Amino acid sequence: MSGGTTSSRLGGWRVALRLARREAWRRKAQTALMLLLICLPVMAVSAATVVWRTSDVSSAESVTRRMGAAAAVLTPQQTRDVAQKFDPDDGTAWGAENEPPATEAEIRTVLGDRPLLPVRRDSADYRTTHGIAGTNLLVADLRQPLAAGLFRLDDGRFPRSVDEVVVNQAVADRGPGLGDTLVLERRAPDGTKVPIELRVVGVGDYADSRTRAWAAVLPGALGEPTADDGPPQLLVGGGPVTWSDVRALNALGVIVASRQVLTDPPPESALAPDMRGGDEGDDTALTVLGLVVAMVLLEVVLLAGPAFAVRARAQAHTLALVAASGGTPAQARRTVLASGVVVGLVGGVLGVGLGIAGSTLAVPIAQRLDAAWFGPFEVPWALVALVAGFGFLSALLAAVVPAFAASRQDVVAVLAGRRGEGRPSRRSPVVGLVLIGLGVAGSVAGSRPGGGSSALLVGGSAIVSVVGMIFLVPVVVAAVARLAARLPLPLRFAARDAARHRMRTVPAIAAVGATVAGVIALGIAVTSQAASDEQGYSPMLPIGNGAVSLPTDATPGQVDEVEEILRKGLPDAPRERVTGVVMDGADHSLDIGLAHGDQRVMTSYWGILGTSFLVADELPGYLGTRPDDRAAADRVLADGGIVVLRNRSEKALPADRLTVEVGEVPFEGGEIAHLRHADLPAAAARVPERSSPVAAVLSPEAAALLRLPTATTAIAVRPTIEKGALKNVNEQLAASTANVELQVERGYQPEAATRIIKIVLAVLGGILMLGGTLTATFLALSDARPDFATMAAVGARPRTRRGVAASYALVVGLVGALLGAPIGFIPGVAISRPLTYDDVTSSTLLAIPWPLLGAVVVGLPLLTALIVGLAARSRLPLVARLD
Amino acid sequence: MSVKHALLALLEQEPMYGYQLRAEFEQRTGTTWPLNVGQVYTTLSRLERDGLAQGGGEDTEGHVIYRITDAGRDEVATWFTTPVARTQPPRDELAIKLALAVTVPGVDVATVIQQQRSATMAALQDYTRLKRQATGTARAELAWSLVLDSLVFAAEAEVRWLDHCEARLRRAAAELDVQNSRLTDGTSSVKREFRRSTGETHADRTRR
Amino acid sequence: MTAVLQLTDVVRVHGEAPHEVQALRGVSFAAYAGELVAVMGPSGSGKSTLLTIAGGLDQPTSGAVTVEGVDLARLGQPERARMRRTSIGYVFQGFNLIPALTAAENVALPRELDGVAPRQARAEARQALEEVGIPHLADRFPDDMSGGQQQRVAIARAVVAERRLILADEPTGALDTETGEEILRLLRARCDAGAAGVLVTHEARHAAWADRVVFLRDGVVVDETGADRAETLTEPAAR
Repeated sequence: MSGGTTSSRLGGWRVALRLARREAWRRKAQTALMLLLICLPVMAVSAATVVWRTSDVSSAESVTRRMGAAAAVLTPQQTRDVAQKFDPDDGTAWGAENEPPATEAEIRTVLGDRPLLPVRRDSADYRTTHGIAGTNLLVADLRQPLAAGLFRLDDGRFPRSVDEVVVNQAVADRGPGLGDTLVLERRAPDGTKVPIELRVVGVGDYADSRTRAWAAVLPGALGEPTADDGPPQLLVGGGPVTWSDVRALNALGVIVASRQVLTDPPPESALAPDMRGGDEGDDTALTVLGLVVAMVLLEVVLLAGPAFAVRARAQAHTLALVAASGGTPAQARRTVLASGVVVGLVGGVLGVGLGIAGSTLAVPIAQRLDAAWFGPFEVPWALVALVAGFGFLSALLAAVVPAFAASRQDVVAVLAGRRGEGRPSRRSPVVGLVLIGLGVAGSVAGSRPGGGSSALLVGGSAIVSVVGMIFLVPVVVAAVARLAARLPLPLRFAARDAARHRMRTVPAIAAVGATVAGVIALGIAVTSQAASDEQGYSPMLPIGNGAVSLPTDATPGQVDEVEEILRKGLPDAPRERVTGVVMDGADHSLDIGLAHGDQRVMTSYWGILGTSFLVADELPGYLGTRPDDRAAADRVLADGGIVVLRNRSEKALPADRLTVEVGEVPFEGGEIAHLRHADLPAAAARVPERSSPVAAVLSPEAAALLRLPTATTAIAVRPTIEKGALKNVNEQLAASTANVELQVERGYQPEAATRIIKIVLAVLGGILMLGGTLTATFLALSDARPDFATMAAVGARPRTRRGVAASYALVVGLVGALLGAPIGFIPGVAISRPLTYDDVTSSTLLAIPWPLLGAVVVGLPLLTALIVGLAARSRLPLVARLD
Repeated sequence: MSVKHALLALLEQEPMYGYQLRAEFEQRTGTTWPLNVGQVYTTLSRLERDGLAQGGGEDTEGHVIYRITDAGRDEVATWFTTPVARTQPPRDELAIKLALAVTVPGVDVATVIQQQRSATMAALQDYTRLKRQATGTARAELAWSLVLDSLVFAAEAEVRWLDHCEARLRRAAAELDVQNSRLTDGTSSVKREFRRSTGETHADRTRR
Repeated sequence: MTAVLQLTDVVRVHGEAPHEVQALRGVSFAAYAGELVAVMGPSGSGKSTLLTIAGGLDQPTSGAVTVEGVDLARLGQPERARMRRTSIGYVFQGFNLIPALTAAENVALPRELDGVAPRQARAEARQALEEVGIPHLADRFPDDMSGGQQQRVAIARAVVAERRLILADEPTGALDTETGEEILRLLRARCDAGAAGVLVTHEARHAAWADRVVFLRDGVVVDETGADRAETLTEPAAR
């Protein structure tokens, strides 16, 4: 019996699917639009999945790049007790340290007599065409068969003697190529640099990294390894190294990556008990992923919704006839849902196919952006199938609402040829407001700053709010239509038509709204964080000024050399030698404290002038103090006193005379030894920033009185310092004997990422908005064909169609944006609170990205309307039929 | 057309003399069916003979007033409730003319039809013009307008019938053409037979 | 007296050579102010083509069409559209009201499209609705009206702003006889008030409302009746 029911149900579906297939074929443009909307996200996500899985190198895929042709790579530790996972990169643990590492003989007791090849990895500086750069070094005999695959030669050969080297392209690009001499600079134990000249005999690729500099030499090329270097890694030849071998070697303190274990790992139970588990995916990450998927699904469904609504409406007459001749609502529903099934299946499969095809193009591009070599091209079929299923699901969901509407349609009205929909439900706005209220409550609860904030709750609330917004759209659209009575004809027509065909306008407006909400939320978060960072920014010098901080032991010759480089490199920037107290001695550092009686005066600084106490006979200009404090400060310095710098948050000085105490702090630890003190006239110089470059300025007399050691601690450079010139100067400064750097204070620089995120947000928002608006407008225009014919008959100008198209886009875009923007504030404010939480003041900061808001809410809809208006055909359909 | 019943129906409303009856009849039916007074009096005497009406009494000017009898009332009631029979089609000169025109060689039937259509159309226009003047809602006016409508619909039916005749004649002529062309092209008719047996009908289409 | 609408030797061929269809094959015909002309013919006779050409919605393959002395062929699309806004009114069988607009807005449509201020357009629309007897329906939407009411709105739209040529394509087709008659009465009244009307129909009863009836067969005018001598035809002898 149940079999009969099933087959009749299937039979019902068969008819529905056949109808859907025919309908899809009959309305090709509409079907293409539906497919596009389902296909594009599926394609993008499946392509991204393939690229991700290809770029991700699994343990098994990494075998060759880690051990060449060997059966295993051994890493003896300076201990006798290690534990590891199957892949040691996933986790290791060891006990006591500073024990002698396992010897080759001990290892052979486990592995028997096999070939062992020592391999070391090291690093060194090398001379480039412009200066000096660092490179990684592989120290191994690459000619051995075991090492095959660690370094792939493109040109030349592997080193045969210790004065030969092979380099990868990254080194060759910046320095010596094939046949040239590579000069490595090794720092000897005494700190001096020892040049090692090597002949480049080969150029190739290091197996693991594409862009980092790697060179390979024979053992001994860099001198003999010291005790600090530890034992080398060993590549093991011969047969497979089993998991029991690995455990036995672990007992010797050797960590093992075995080819056999990596490619065919034993069951989890084979692991040592404390090595098990702990590797499960993060629950939070998974839930966040779920939220993202839900969000994307919602957006896709909303974007595809109008097309399905229009398709269902096109079928309305058929369905009404079916109902009139005894069809059940379920059959009507099924007929519309079948459209979703057909489009979802085709779109999902097509999207995945195109995505995989596209990924073959995207992988090489992604490889160029990534430092590491990718693994082999890999299609994760299960994941890709999931993505296709996602496409199918979104098409089905997009068809659900029209399907239910179709099963409940007013048969009489449809057969009478009325094209509109009834009044919007009175319940839906209430549901919407309740959901938005829940969203706000959840966001407030989830965004308690300073701990207790829950990204999940905020994310979930955001989705709830957006769904709430969808419920508000119908009433808002109806209200806009009522308000449109006084608008010019194209706008009035668009607004009324939108309200009459809510099934297709509501999802489009909701898609725009959801997009805008997302853009605004992230925009608020990013802007607030940037504002918070800016507020918390402490400049090291007044903006535009620069300084070269000199080492404590800089010789006068070195100072002259630095000054000469600056003079030549920055001829237009005034320079000044900064004289300051040398705070660090050979075995102690100075401690200078200020007090007024028992009351200590706290000072702070944040700078690059090489000292915290300057010595000068007048207040230097590069400190950024307020001009109105200058006269008093100069007077005090002339009097042999001290000028204390006060930043924005520091209090004024308690008196105009302060006691300066000098003490010594031994490096070895111990009490401060008080040396001497002096009572000096004092004045404050205020710095209108969060920090001052030094703590105070002492007059030369005061420094002498307190017997403070002074020196040229830095060279200050005044503006203007060009970026290009700065780079040149810094390359020369790095190559100078003092090895110093000119740092320039440029004020708060918003991270490039922040700006990029905002641009990406605006562009992505724009694309999604354009997509939502365009689909709705396209569908509306094709629906309104008879109306355009009527307008043509009563004498509409051809451009009326453009006006209506633009108005339609404007209504959809503007209503969506105006609804979405406040919804975006809910998660936006919620995210910004924990992001901008200031521990000190326990306050949060909210910065609204007004330009972004304006661009998205007003600019984009207007722009979209303009584009639609310009792109719309201006031909009106004229009545031309054969009778 | 039963003048007898019409007069009897008028008498049912109130007793009337001959002239009065004629005026009343014409007011209600327009000048569509003019009655002469002689016809009225002949009918009245026949009604009196059958016991459906009764003459008696004179008005001040000496006109004989006729009133309806009970038997007459019954007769009127029966008349109103009995549908008008369509047992015998009225002899229609136009139908006969067309039937002959189609069968007699050398007559341009299309012209006959069009001339008749124009004439009927003109009549129809006149009826419509009269109707446009009759816009009142008084009962008598309404009665007149309904009679006009009857004429309008009858004339319209005639035009439609003429349209229909024309369409059928055209189709018949077209079929006749096809038959003639088939007769003059015997070989292809064989070919067509052959093709038709294989399910193809291209030959037909290309010929047309 | 010049004709409001004048068609001279109008030929209209649809499609290309092997499959071409001759919708009109040299039609000459005029409609004068104060006159309602009916064009009668069976399906396929070219009546609707005649009307679309007269309204400038379609172009004749050859021949001339003048409306109020202006040769439509000499005008570009925009000017022809302007003619439809100011001189030519259309009434269709399918009512062709825009469902998103109220009755008054539908009537005001040609005026608004012509750039008239909305307030004035609305006022003119109300006046036109008054003329067709439904001022109380001004703010209703077409879906909330009966067929007859919708067609009245359509007529109001065709006559708003004193347009002098009214083209009606089977305006009573979807209506019952009595409602249809009222619509014809409105058209007739408009023509009596000085407009020229062209009524395309296949029903003799409706064509009879016209002053002249033009018979169209296979794209040519085959006959034309004017009507004189009213009462004579009511004689039974005519039957």
